[in-house]
Amino acid sequence: MSNPYQPVQAKILDVIEETPNIRTFVLKPEREIPFLAGQFVELTIPGFGEAPFTPSSSHFRRETLEMTIMRVGRATGALFTKKPGDLLGIRGPYGKPYPLKEFEGRDIYIVGGGVGLAPLRALFLALTEEKKKYGRIFLRYGARTPKDIVYKKQLKEWEKIKGVDIDLSVDAADEPWERKVGVVTCLMDEIPCDVKKSVAVVCGPPIMMKFVTKKLLEAGFPGGSIYLSMEMNMSCGLGQCGHCRLGPYFTCKDGPVLTWEQIKDIEEPFL
Amino acid sequence: MDAYFLPNHRCSSWLASLAGRFNLFYPREVDEAVHWQRYDANDFNIEQLALRKIRAAEPIKPFFFSPRERVASFPEPVEPETKMKPTLLFGVKGCDLRGIAVHKRMFLEGEFADPFFAQRLNNTILLGADCPAPERTCFCNLLGLKPFLTEDVDLSLTVIDDGWLIEALSERGAELMQMENGLQKATDSQIAKREEQRQKAMRILKEQNPKDWNPNLAQAIADKTADKRFWIDAARDCVECFGCLLTCPTCFCFLLYDQGNAERFERSRVWDFCYLPMYARVGGGANPRARFIDRFINRFHCKFMHSKNQNGFYACSGCGRCFSTCMGRIDIRNILGQL
Repeated sequence: MSNPYQPVQAKILDVIEETPNIRTFVLKPEREIPFLAGQFVELTIPGFGEAPFTPSSSHFRRETLEMTIMRVGRATGALFTKKPGDLLGIRGPYGKPYPLKEFEGRDIYIVGGGVGLAPLRALFLALTEEKKKYGRIFLRYGARTPKDIVYKKQLKEWEKIKGVDIDLSVDAADEPWERKVGVVTCLMDEIPCDVKKSVAVVCGPPIMMKFVTKKLLEAGFPGGSIYLSMEMNMSCGLGQCGHCRLGPYFTCKDGPVLTWEQIKDIEEPFL
Repeated sequence: MDAYFLPNHRCSSWLASLAGRFNLFYPREVDEAVHWQRYDANDFNIEQLALRKIRAAEPIKPFFFSPRERVASFPEPVEPETKMKPTLLFGVKGCDLRGIAVHKRMFLEGEFADPFFAQRLNNTILLGADCPAPERTCFCNLLGLKPFLTEDVDLSLTVIDDGWLIEALSERGAELMQMENGLQKATDSQIAKREEQRQKAMRILKEQNPKDWNPNLAQAIADKTADKRFWIDAARDCVECFGCLLTCPTCFCFLLYDQGNAERFERSRVWDFCYLPMYARVGGGANPRARFIDRFINRFHCKFMHSKNQNGFYACSGCGRCFSTCMGRIDIRNILGQL
């Protein structure tokens, strides 16, 4: 019986500055981490502890993992002192991935906010890797300001992919900005897909997910077709320690991707 | 399997022979309370073996799920100790087995099995003992449990006047009985005495817990959740000492934390408690149960709603330790009985 608490070593290959507070860490674990888009891993910052993060890279390329991480606290602060060549620990993958089989043949309407685009990037890359299986892909993404947008170069590349439709907004344009200004729901006044036959995927700050979900429901998306990243306080990752309890679910085991149908009866699911 | 009788004059020597083979722990009466004690031949008197009393003050949980345990290290890995001498818990009561059932479900039956718990459980012989005289804090009958053991232990033991009735309930138990050549096949009259004693214990439990709980308690709790007034009244005397969680045999929450530096660290697992304000706080600082009343309700959800719905049984053993230890004298029977 293997020890699920024991991390494996992962070397940092590269650190990419996405925004002043968000970096993408490219990691090479000493053994392959067989994740699927939507699953998460526990990343150990030696001497500081561990925290859950969802890989942002394609699950078709597992020899390295990319994690796009915002500096918010003690552990991520320590992580931001790391440089290429340093070692981290990693264990996982944990949780349930996006159910890509159920997405086949359907349009996919993705809404991301801030660093929430990271798990969605893994999904986007998985979808575009096998694009023929799916319908059109719509990506709606909002950030606070233009400089807070992650994956700036990739977004430009993705816009060129046939069948992909991307629209962006910022809450405030403090520098020249040619696209929409407003919270991400301002991109959702017209939803250009057949909502009854499409799936919606949302990841971002809780308040953003709350209002995006409201908008999706108003547009007619069935609750079972709205997939939300409910990344709570996941700790052990094994469905055992109890910390990430969300109603009847352990988010680390039953999520982190849960449908609105699953969580709609929980009192205040978006904190 | 058949029951066997061990006369009083041979009990001490059987215990001593078992202690030679196992790390043997037994319930010992100390200042009118019962506590688990490691057997030490130089400090053992059969009179202190508290088999006729109810469960010990502390649950058997720590024998399998340590309050603090090193579970990983970096860069050299940690693996469970495999060369430990087997443990024998002599005199486990029926209520404590519910804790093992909950922990087996949590730690062994998911996608990721806990090797530390598994190793300890496999390495432990459970010898159960009847509870002949349930006390006022006991309510195992309300949970469908009995004050005696007919399954889920290796051996079952009943104290009668002139000796012990012992029954093997597993192959491991049968092997242990072969170590003692003083065993005699139990007579019909001895078995009748055991039955009479067991029925008496059942009667005591029924008399002190006459009213069954709502048969659909999980749903009743769900329906009552929004009635905050009910829960505020129920929790009024709570001083948030967490004694109920600390002594509960079924609670399983834990916290992982690392100590060390960038070159070398150790990861420990310690018991955690859902009543702690910081327990459910999520990244970014939000807290789904920032108010104590929500944490209080969560305990009932966890034990009596989610566990029942997901596992088919309540995460409660009816041991009454939560009540015994409660500074506010909150008896959960009163709360659940109103649903």
